[in-house]
Amino acid sequence: MAEEKRLNKKTLLDFYYKILLIRRFEQKVYEYVIDGTVKGSVHLCIGEEASAVGTVSAAEKNDYLLPTHRGHGQALAKGTDPSKLMAEIIGKEGGLCKGRVGSMHFFDKDNNVLGAQGILGAQFPISIGVGLSIKLLAQKAVALCYFGDGTSNQGTLFEALNFADIWGLPILFVCINNQYGMGTPYGSTCNLSVSDKAKVFNIRSVIIDGNDVIKVFEAAKELIRLCRIKKRPALIECLTYRHMGHSGFDNRPYRPKDEVREWKKKDPLASILERIRENGIEEDDVKAIGQKVEEIIKKASDFADGSPYPVFDKSMLE
Amino acid sequence: MAAHIRYLIKVCWNRKVSILREITYAQALRESIAQMMRDNKKTILIGEDVGKGYRGCFGVSTGLYEEFGASQVIDTPIAENTVLGTGIGAALMGFKVIVEIMFADFIGVCFDGVLNQIAKINFMSAGQYRLDLVLRMPGGSGQGTGPHHSQCLESIFMNIPGLKVVLPSNAYEAKGLLNYSLNCPDPVIFLEHKRLYKTSMDVPEEAYSIPFGKARIVREGKDLTLVAVSYMVRLAIEAAQILSREHGIEVEIIDPRTLSPLDSETIIESLKKTNRLVTLEEGIKRGGVGAEISARIADEAIEYLDSPIRRIASKNMVNPMSPLLEEAMLPGIDDIVDEIKSLIDR
Repeated sequence: MAEEKRLNKKTLLDFYYKILLIRRFEQKVYEYVIDGTVKGSVHLCIGEEASAVGTVSAAEKNDYLLPTHRGHGQALAKGTDPSKLMAEIIGKEGGLCKGRVGSMHFFDKDNNVLGAQGILGAQFPISIGVGLSIKLLAQKAVALCYFGDGTSNQGTLFEALNFADIWGLPILFVCINNQYGMGTPYGSTCNLSVSDKAKVFNIRSVIIDGNDVIKVFEAAKELIRLCRIKKRPALIECLTYRHMGHSGFDNRPYRPKDEVREWKKKDPLASILERIRENGIEEDDVKAIGQKVEEIIKKASDFADGSPYPVFDKSMLE
Repeated sequence: MAAHIRYLIKVCWNRKVSILREITYAQALRESIAQMMRDNKKTILIGEDVGKGYRGCFGVSTGLYEEFGASQVIDTPIAENTVLGTGIGAALMGFKVIVEIMFADFIGVCFDGVLNQIAKINFMSAGQYRLDLVLRMPGGSGQGTGPHHSQCLESIFMNIPGLKVVLPSNAYEAKGLLNYSLNCPDPVIFLEHKRLYKTSMDVPEEAYSIPFGKARIVREGKDLTLVAVSYMVRLAIEAAQILSREHGIEVEIIDPRTLSPLDSETIIESLKKTNRLVTLEEGIKRGGVGAEISARIADEAIEYLDSPIRRIASKNMVNPMSPLLEEAMLPGIDDIVDEIKSLIDR
């Protein structure tokens, strides 16, 4: 494909690095869940990494990110420090938010990550304030507002699409369509595709293979350019699949086995590796990335393990 | 009233403020917003019909759009969730934000923004973000506005950690408390009252602030302490005059000004003198402001009480529209006089 030729070796390896980092990070978090280190709930994005990596990689460092409750991958792709995120997830003092809030509620101001949402759909109204501020401050930035297929049924999406349209706001709405809202398949909750919901407002929207990081990247790049230059909102719907349960623990009885098998064949990590090999990139480069990721994960878990739990102090009283 | 004028003169003298004009509560609020908008161009007002059209449902923002334009006075579609969300997002981006919800009752539509977002972001982000946001809304009944346009919801906000809850009871208080709110880097719930908007009094032209957590002694008295909030302060004053004139009972009236934080010290100091406590609010009695104040006093100062605490509030019922029903629900002057008299006569 012509598009792919434009992607050089460095970009492909960067995609591989980010997808692998998120995969290994989430696997480590899962270990922590199983051994009881993580006390609260966590929502893992294994299987969905390419959607986060492709969209965030198409954005700039100064752009803003509103992650979902399943947001580790989105933040890691944006540049969030894996050690601080890991410490946050297990509730340690060294975490992004001093370990106070964990997986679903972290903020990372250094990377313009404006708070993950435990309240599904609350990110839409907030994204409007971010988009409006970008406009009032005459910034060149774009806000990336993430949500799932299930959350697209919240009324706040329609409010936000309307506000973004009438005010002309640079917001890319990114739907990570992993097919299920908890245990309920999207098709049984709405007859419109998520992408069609934006079309109601004449907002440009596309549906893309969310497991193909290159396709996601190319599509997101074009839409982000539209947001940035034309000051218009846009929507990208990434079709993907979550390999794990809703919050890491459930056994997914709601999923047909054939469906799982088919999606696992389209695993984003395997796909990017295949692309890399097709492009004749040396195995040594691939291995070096693997090693680097293992070191980062080791460092992150050592840091998180070694950090103390925060203790109550009176300044927390409101 | 004499105590109030003395107090005003004292404040003006201390601050070397000389220009007093009689303006309304709505004008006082507008003056505070306009002064902040002039000083800080990153101050924005967001709400339904605050700008070009209606200029604020109760006239608070009249003239602001003309002076500051669409970059500071932002009209929105009717969608409270996103009205408040816009404010939250802008505050995250460093703006000083004033959000107007047209009637306090409508907060139900966007309650997530209050409960899960503005109240929590300072704590959740461990100080990475501080929401410089004032959420204004009017409560208040007694004008036949019925179940969806009448409620006083202060007790609900008081129960949420992370919010300052402010209730100005007259025009002077409105300007001073809004100024302080606008200079407070934390989220503030600013509860106005519909029946106060058109009331007027002398207010300094210059900017001045009234800090949170410092109650105001509205009227001095030796026989009983009456803690009243918002519009009820006016009723308290009328009732106190009747009690003094007709029964020789001298009531000390305290306006707490803010419920979070609550100045229980001033209430306790008053109780040391009067040994009797009555609370007065327009919100629902069950789980109300009076319930919290009573519990605090029972915890901290029960030894100063010579009689039971009485709570005067709205009956535990839905706000009706029809006049006789509404009158039955709300606390009236007679209720206050009777309750206080029966407590003194015990």
